[in-house]
Amino acid sequence: MIRAAWPWLRSRRGAREATQGEMQRWIQTVYAKEILEALRDRRTLFVMIVLPAIFMPVATLGIPYLAQRQQHMIQTATPAVAVVGEARGLVHLAYATKLITPVRVGDPVAALRQRRVRAVLRIPPRFEDTIARDGQAHVAIFYNASDSESTAARARLVELLSHYSQQVVARRLAARHLNPRDLLPVVLDEQNVATERQVSGLLLASLLPFFIAMWAVVGGMSVAVDLAAGEKERGTLESLLIAPVNREAIVIGKFLAVVTASMGAVIVVLITMMVSLHWGYPYLLHTTQRLDVSLPPGTAVVMLGVALLFSALVSAVQLAVSIFARSPREAQQYVTPLYFVTVLPALAVQFVSEWQRSGWAYLVPVLNAFFAFRELLLGTVNWGHLILATVSSAFYAALALEIAVGLMNRESVVFRT
Amino acid sequence: MADRRVLVEAVDLEKRFRRFHAVRGVSFHCYAGEVFGLLGPNGAGKTTTIRVLTTILRPTAGTGRVAGHDVVRNPAEVRRMIGVLPENAGVYGRLTGRDVIRYTGRLHGVLPDVLEARLQAICERLDLGSHLDRLTHTYSKGMRQKLNIARALVHDPPVVFLDEPTSGLDVISARAVRDVIQGFKQEGRCVIMSTHVMEEAERLCDRVAIIAAGRVRAQGRLEDLKAQTGLGLEEIFVQLVAQTVA
Repeated sequence: MIRAAWPWLRSRRGAREATQGEMQRWIQTVYAKEILEALRDRRTLFVMIVLPAIFMPVATLGIPYLAQRQQHMIQTATPAVAVVGEARGLVHLAYATKLITPVRVGDPVAALRQRRVRAVLRIPPRFEDTIARDGQAHVAIFYNASDSESTAARARLVELLSHYSQQVVARRLAARHLNPRDLLPVVLDEQNVATERQVSGLLLASLLPFFIAMWAVVGGMSVAVDLAAGEKERGTLESLLIAPVNREAIVIGKFLAVVTASMGAVIVVLITMMVSLHWGYPYLLHTTQRLDVSLPPGTAVVMLGVALLFSALVSAVQLAVSIFARSPREAQQYVTPLYFVTVLPALAVQFVSEWQRSGWAYLVPVLNAFFAFRELLLGTVNWGHLILATVSSAFYAALALEIAVGLMNRESVVFRT
Repeated sequence: MADRRVLVEAVDLEKRFRRFHAVRGVSFHCYAGEVFGLLGPNGAGKTTTIRVLTTILRPTAGTGRVAGHDVVRNPAEVRRMIGVLPENAGVYGRLTGRDVIRYTGRLHGVLPDVLEARLQAICERLDLGSHLDRLTHTYSKGMRQKLNIARALVHDPPVVFLDEPTSGLDVISARAVRDVIQGFKQEGRCVIMSTHVMEEAERLCDRVAIIAAGRVRAQGRLEDLKAQTGLGLEEIFVQLVAQTVA
């Protein structure tokens, strides 16, 4: 992107007097110094490498593991349900199927609120007589929708009542010499034709854009804040600006350092996530589903390219904010909303899939990158969309960088204290 | 003072920040091999004048020239000619002293072998040699100031601007810095330093300009100023500042 933007950047006021060789030397010098400082900063290394390496296995495996564990507990437990009224056949069936454990309590609704029982089944008077007379009985279930165990108990009760109804129907049909199959002329047989890679792609498409957005911002944040607002606070910026160096070169050198930190974090996230899913998923989670989280090399390269452009946009905005801010503290306050601005679209893309077919969605900054990620991961790449997304992302990143350069050239901003 | 080349020249310099007039028609010149002092109370306009002459700020009006180059029309050339110690200059805490000097040298385009030789020479002179490979966040304030002076010299500039060079330093460090400034004069560099310490100005400066409220109230050789008024430098300074305030 920088190469593409080079002639345009160099045509700016002040850049004309510098040769391309000089610009490259200055950019390299500033970049090398910023990277050296970043690598000696434990905080940056922690955020860039250690934190994603710890966070990603926890996020991709730990949370699903806990969710699965809770679900397993709910599924295997037999919830206590207060039964009000008489229904011997139904209670029998409950014991036989072990779907619920019927109990008797004094005040069933109070017991439900106090979580002594998970649900209440209210049987109407003369229930069994009604059933025996081929009538229809209305039963009521009381449960607490804010309690997942109560909701699970409700589901168990519904299943129990369904079983019971089927038994009653079978008896009634038999009495009339009818076959229960006659009531089910169509039998459903489902078949999932999605490949392992497609299933894995769907999983990755729901997770990856969010994590890329998150770490592209977080990875470069401390570096961006430190190397502009931090320089102001430490009193080193003035010495730098006095050197016979083009300010464009200074900003580009610093920008590349932020992009490096941001992309470093994104790459660590991608690797740890892939490794976690590939090696940890089958061992930690009890599932018959197999995952193929390997990406074809071409897709991986294009994804990294899109991630790089997204990271460049985020880094340029962070740097511009940092240049504008009076202090690192102020820069941090300005940069934090950027985190939400990028992470929210990453979460939203999976719920606005109808936009994915529209070309304009690939021109909206931030959103365009996430739609491109989804297409790449789901294997539904539209090259027109991809070109729109990459070109527009490059444009927005160059624009944000241009704003950063403009701010660095304004003395009211540089000496804003 | 054999060399009478004018290396720094300010003619009716003005600098305004919105409604605040920081510098109002400041004029002076400074020769090679001379230490010129900008004296004034806090907020007088000394730092702004230096920032204009070092191309950090753009003048609202007037002309500034360094080694014949206009600060507005040719800032890149001006920057090649100057070494600057800004007021309250900091250091890159996660770099060693050697890293910092090399970084500045590379930005100035000093060739690698020349840079290494100059680094050794400057650090020997400033007594920084044994601390060069330590991270600068471990440096004392005096060492940081010496390091910033070393940065200012790494490209061997003919003009050196020093903004409050001994501010906040202990006696020993301040003396070391003053020795370095006297060395500049002997080397034929043109030195412009700002200070509000009269004793320091009397020891180091050949000529001074007393600035208050953005204007030059008096300027000339120290001996001449004293002879004209029959007062010591501190008395002259206090009277001029008091007149300005009144």
